[in-house]
Amino acid sequence: MSAYVNTQAVAPDTTVPKSQPAIRFTDLRSSGEPFAWILGGALALGCIMIVSFLAMVFWNGATTFVPKEIQVVTMSNGAMTAGEATRTELYRPQVLDFQKLTPTQQNIITENDGFASRTLYRVGNFDIYNEDYRWISDFEVTKIEAPKDILLAERVEWGPLIGTLKSITVDGEIILLNSVNDKRFANIHDVSRERRERMSEIEKDEIGGINHQIEQLRLNVRRVELAEGLNSEAFAKAQMTLEAQVGGLQEKYKKLADEVLQLRDLNKRNTATFVEIGRQEKIVQMDALVRIYPANDLDVFGAIGVYLSRWWEFVSDEPREANTEGGILPAIFGTAAMTLMMVVAVAPFGIITALYLREYAKQGRLVSFVRISVNNLAGVPSIVYGVFGLGFFAYVLGGSIDQLFYPERLPNPTFGTGGLLWASLTLALLTVPVVIVATEEALSAVPRSMREGSLACGASKWQTIKYIVLPRALPGIMTGIILAMARGAGEVAPLMLVGVVKLAPELPIDGFFPFVHLERSFMHLGFHIYDVGFQSRNAEAGKPMVFVTTMLLIGLIFALNITAIVVRNRLKQKFKGSQF
Amino acid sequence: MAGVKTEAINPDPLLSRQRRSMKTPRSVLIADKTADWVIRIGGLSVILAVFGIMVFLAQAVVPLFTGGQLKGQTKAVLQSGGHKTLTDFLDEYRTLSVAVDDTGAVSAFHIKTGVVINAPSFDFGGQTASAFARTLAGGYVAFGFSDGTLRLGRLVIAVDVIDDTAAPADLRALGTQGDRTDGTAIYAKVSEAQLRRTLVKVELDDAQQITPNGTAIRALDYRVGGTAERPARSFITVDADGIGRVTLSETTKNFMTGKKTVKLTTSELPGLPPGVLVSGVLMTEKADQVYIAEKSGTVYRFDTRSFSAPTLAETIDLAPGAVDINVIGFLIGEQSIVVGGSDGSVNIYFKLPSDTASSTDGYTMVHAKTLEPHSSAVVAMDVSQRGKTFVTADAQGQVWMRHATSEQVLLRLSPGDEKPAYQALALSPRQNAVLAIADNGSAYAWDVDVPHPESTLQTIFGKVWYEGYPEPTYTWQSSAGTDAFEPKLSLMPLIFGTIKATVYSLLFAIPIAIGAAIYTSEFVHHKVRAVVKPTMELMASLPSVVLGFIAALVLAPIVETWIVAILMAFFVMPLGLFFGAYMWQLLPYRIQLKYGASPKFVGMIIALFVFGYLSYASGSVLDGIFFAGDFKAWASGTAGSGAPFTALFLLPVVFIAAWIIMGRVSEVRLSSLMRSNNRFKAGVADLGRWVGTLLIAGTASYAIASVLTSLGLDLRGGVVDTYVQRNTLIVAFAMGFAVIPIIYTIAEDALTSVPEHLRAASLACGATPWQTAISVILPTAMSGVFAAIMVGMGRAVGETMIVVMAAGNTPLIEWNIFEGLRALSANIAVELPEAVRDSTLYRVLFLAALTLFVMTFIVNTLAELVRQRFRKRTAAL
Repeated sequence: MSAYVNTQAVAPDTTVPKSQPAIRFTDLRSSGEPFAWILGGALALGCIMIVSFLAMVFWNGATTFVPKEIQVVTMSNGAMTAGEATRTELYRPQVLDFQKLTPTQQNIITENDGFASRTLYRVGNFDIYNEDYRWISDFEVTKIEAPKDILLAERVEWGPLIGTLKSITVDGEIILLNSVNDKRFANIHDVSRERRERMSEIEKDEIGGINHQIEQLRLNVRRVELAEGLNSEAFAKAQMTLEAQVGGLQEKYKKLADEVLQLRDLNKRNTATFVEIGRQEKIVQMDALVRIYPANDLDVFGAIGVYLSRWWEFVSDEPREANTEGGILPAIFGTAAMTLMMVVAVAPFGIITALYLREYAKQGRLVSFVRISVNNLAGVPSIVYGVFGLGFFAYVLGGSIDQLFYPERLPNPTFGTGGLLWASLTLALLTVPVVIVATEEALSAVPRSMREGSLACGASKWQTIKYIVLPRALPGIMTGIILAMARGAGEVAPLMLVGVVKLAPELPIDGFFPFVHLERSFMHLGFHIYDVGFQSRNAEAGKPMVFVTTMLLIGLIFALNITAIVVRNRLKQKFKGSQF
Repeated sequence: MAGVKTEAINPDPLLSRQRRSMKTPRSVLIADKTADWVIRIGGLSVILAVFGIMVFLAQAVVPLFTGGQLKGQTKAVLQSGGHKTLTDFLDEYRTLSVAVDDTGAVSAFHIKTGVVINAPSFDFGGQTASAFARTLAGGYVAFGFSDGTLRLGRLVIAVDVIDDTAAPADLRALGTQGDRTDGTAIYAKVSEAQLRRTLVKVELDDAQQITPNGTAIRALDYRVGGTAERPARSFITVDADGIGRVTLSETTKNFMTGKKTVKLTTSELPGLPPGVLVSGVLMTEKADQVYIAEKSGTVYRFDTRSFSAPTLAETIDLAPGAVDINVIGFLIGEQSIVVGGSDGSVNIYFKLPSDTASSTDGYTMVHAKTLEPHSSAVVAMDVSQRGKTFVTADAQGQVWMRHATSEQVLLRLSPGDEKPAYQALALSPRQNAVLAIADNGSAYAWDVDVPHPESTLQTIFGKVWYEGYPEPTYTWQSSAGTDAFEPKLSLMPLIFGTIKATVYSLLFAIPIAIGAAIYTSEFVHHKVRAVVKPTMELMASLPSVVLGFIAALVLAPIVETWIVAILMAFFVMPLGLFFGAYMWQLLPYRIQLKYGASPKFVGMIIALFVFGYLSYASGSVLDGIFFAGDFKAWASGTAGSGAPFTALFLLPVVFIAAWIIMGRVSEVRLSSLMRSNNRFKAGVADLGRWVGTLLIAGTASYAIASVLTSLGLDLRGGVVDTYVQRNTLIVAFAMGFAVIPIIYTIAEDALTSVPEHLRAASLACGATPWQTAISVILPTAMSGVFAAIMVGMGRAVGETMIVVMAAGNTPLIEWNIFEGLRALSANIAVELPEAVRDSTLYRVLFLAALTLFVMTFIVNTLAELVRQRFRKRTAAL
């Protein structure tokens, strides 16, 4: 009954006398209250599902980088464990384990219906323990402390290290130190890190450049060989150029390699010695420490600093440790590049098709059939587009391009395998129905009178479209394109077939001619989630990272969607009232 | 934007000045024409491209079903001198053919030109071989002689890559194309400076005496196993007296001295009738099974796992009636036996474990396949080294290329008008050539192209009896470890997986989505709607990889731990909502009106939480009642009874039935009671009625369930069975997130677009909103709601990442909701990146994509048609 009154408020034309509630005697069954509650319950359940889903993703994503307290747990058998408590759950201990417990412990569990609580600790020190995480049951614990001097060090290899600092070695000279806040530690850490950066710069850019040049010369020889034959003069010349230049390049290479070696030797002399909770010592090179902080001795600013620096690393660095640590810059870059290229391909074609269907084609049975088909294509599974992309774009088109333009690289495919270009085109095909449908809707919303007015003033058809129809339809078109972007950015399945990889050695854009390498495979946020969550050595270690990536991806897609809505509303406002 | 507009609407200033010349500027005309063409061509080409997808997929699939193609045919004449050809075979690259006759002479020729190539021969010292055997791979041969001796040897086509300059000078002038011969070897260019040389090599060991009294060896089979350093050669011989012997010859090399010693173990096979006329003997590579085929059709199967004491395992007639066995042979893998009869029949047998077998080792031979028979006796056969393809030849000179699993005849080759009597038949290693040698020394070679011998519509969509399987099955098992492993590519388990995922996720999604849609469009305040609707729409764009990740790594462990509570929540939550509604009715009417909007909705959320918590808290009690205290054991069928859960499962149906019956029976009395009392008392009566109905329904459903259980009907083994962590329940949950927003949005649109005057008229006639919604709005919008469900179904069918990640990917055909599944889409995503281009698997995966395309296209087209009808209908109202 109550909703009845509501309806009245919404729609004034459902005229029901206000005095209705005065009726006292009514058959309650006709109001169907219980069934209405079931329907409402469905809506409530839907809302709860969505809210809890988003809350979980965003909570986990946002708190991943918060520096957590390191607890030192003393267990009843005297063993100690140090680690970050990640989550707690109830479980049923195995019968055999249960029998080994003391009567008091057994009692606690029996009282709890056979359930016991346990906590997952991230203990780090994978190189010592051979595990990243350890479950500790609550009934085993006798004491939990949080000592101030315990450190968490993120390393280039082997994941985090948890322990206390014993000493550092600077140029072979041992200095006893137990705080990382010491100036000397910071100085030597900075110096080592800078050397490491310089090393990677040399290896990547300079040595990479030399390798690139040698490869180009070699390919040139092969090209000449294919074109002119082995016995030709041109081939001999190309061969000579290769030999002449390779010598010089190799000399350069050697110099650079020596420099790297020197830097590496210098860095080897700066180390830090840590002691983990079980009193084992671990010596780590200074430059292998990405970040180090006293987890239990951080003030608010320190904690914020660690949090922000981790975020910055995440969005600006390359991945480490099989993608479970470090950053995801290549994946962000790959996603962005792919989505933008997709838009470049999809926008003109989608709009042109919609223009054709709405403005040029004769409206008849055929066009409405085409329209139904286009509508349906929006519902064709994305994986089918992936199969088409692989079979047609990569193998047929790419294969022919390789034959024609890159014969010197065969049998290694250049375009004849998955890559950025093919992935973008595949997604463009996948999203073209979205753009067509949206554009068509926008075009049909432009009043006929405006078109007629323009034509009556003597404008040609194209002028009418260009100056009257398209500007009007722009909000709808923009919405369609943005929605297509959102759909494209979130698709993973077709990309698995046409060029996405778990770790791309090179970005699609670099300093070597022709600078943009559309044939290269790339990384993608969505695939990163799949890969780290399912293919990595330890799904548990990758999970926090996946949550952050997930948050980023959902954030990106929601941002695009909301932009679409805002753009639509803005432009609608702008054209409001400017009708004939 | 505004400026541009003005320009178009107002006459161009330039134009107005030249008002007199009414001619349109050329540039405008050109722009107009260009735009016209660009848009027409662009639009049409995009539409064509989109349809091209289907065409492209189809053309990639077609070669699967085209069988084989004859590419060319050559004939050569060998100098046979009337001797019997024992065997012939071809090299990997289809360049060279080799044949051996019973004097040990080896004749080889270049297939393309028919030029005879000089090849070394076996030196038998003037003897004639009376029996012969060759291994399928490796070129190991054994010859038996009439004096009871046996000689082992090797006959190989040796291939090596040599430097261009090492080749005979005159060959280099012949150009670079194809393969050429100088009469001793065949040369083919492999790169700029390298040649591949193919020639024949023979080795022959000394004779060993097998039959003690010098009886002739009539039949022979030979296998080489073990390692290269310690080969174990085993052979079986049957002599003219009908005595069968198995021999194992092990060569060991002393590491210190480097001396080789050969150890021979020979035992006689028991149970063979004396003087048996043998048409073939077969031995497995591990030498654990021996088959001796009598001409009349009886096959003796021996268990030779113990070499010193072989036993006769089974005697069976493989050519019933008056038919003789003419040829018998193993297919690759040595499980299936092909039997060619004197009546032209070709049958395939393999052994299977059997309880009722008359054999001593628990296995029995079964007649698995009857292939299309030749019109005359089968005279020769050869099998492929890489698959289940084989060739048979008949007395009329016809050569048929067949495939054992797909049972199809791939090619029917004939030597023209001649009717040669073939003595030997050969199939090239890559299955691209067939060679037959007749008794007059004529050699016929056919170039063939059989890209996908193993696939027919029947093997992909029907049941296939694979060797070693007890019966024909639908099986998907694509990865092959060895050549002997046969990929099993039936799409049925995958199609079933897709359907299973779709059905369960829709069972979960439809009630929630449609219920929510009706409630949103008919019962909530428009402000609530303005928040809820866009949020749901936003949810539709959630990437499915995210849903899959959450489902598999977060949800699956939780569901596994709290499975009882979650299953119970399906029943407890609706009860909770009912209960909440009856409590609500007890509230004073004033309060009901005042808080009827958002507070009531909050009440529903609270009811869900409270009863959700109740089912969580009472998990162990419910576990005890319904699942005998151990859910996983219960689900597997090892503990407890199925009756309580069956009762719960039946409860909703029985409740509705009881509700209707109660309504009929007590209609008048109850409604008069309700009308005569005040609202509170009516509410109490209503509550009482509900509780009563529930109790009756509970009792009734338990009674029905008990009867069903005692009749042997149990949910377990059907929709409920062994629990695995990544299962269909998880998939249904995750897919719910993907599908609910879609169904909800479209259904809500359909419900809202029902003309307002219908709603008003119904309410004005005194119908309550509930009656209006159910009797007026829903029927009107039914086709739109149906279309929404279809669109949701389309999405569920094609969803990939969720099923890849959360479904466990086990290609099974069972409805068990606690077992995983493998969907078409997931299968493509997982297997296509590794499939070799243009291989059978590659094309079958394309067929999977095409199937998916067609499935969704049908569903979507249906939805679109229904939706258009709905639009027309509402427009008419």
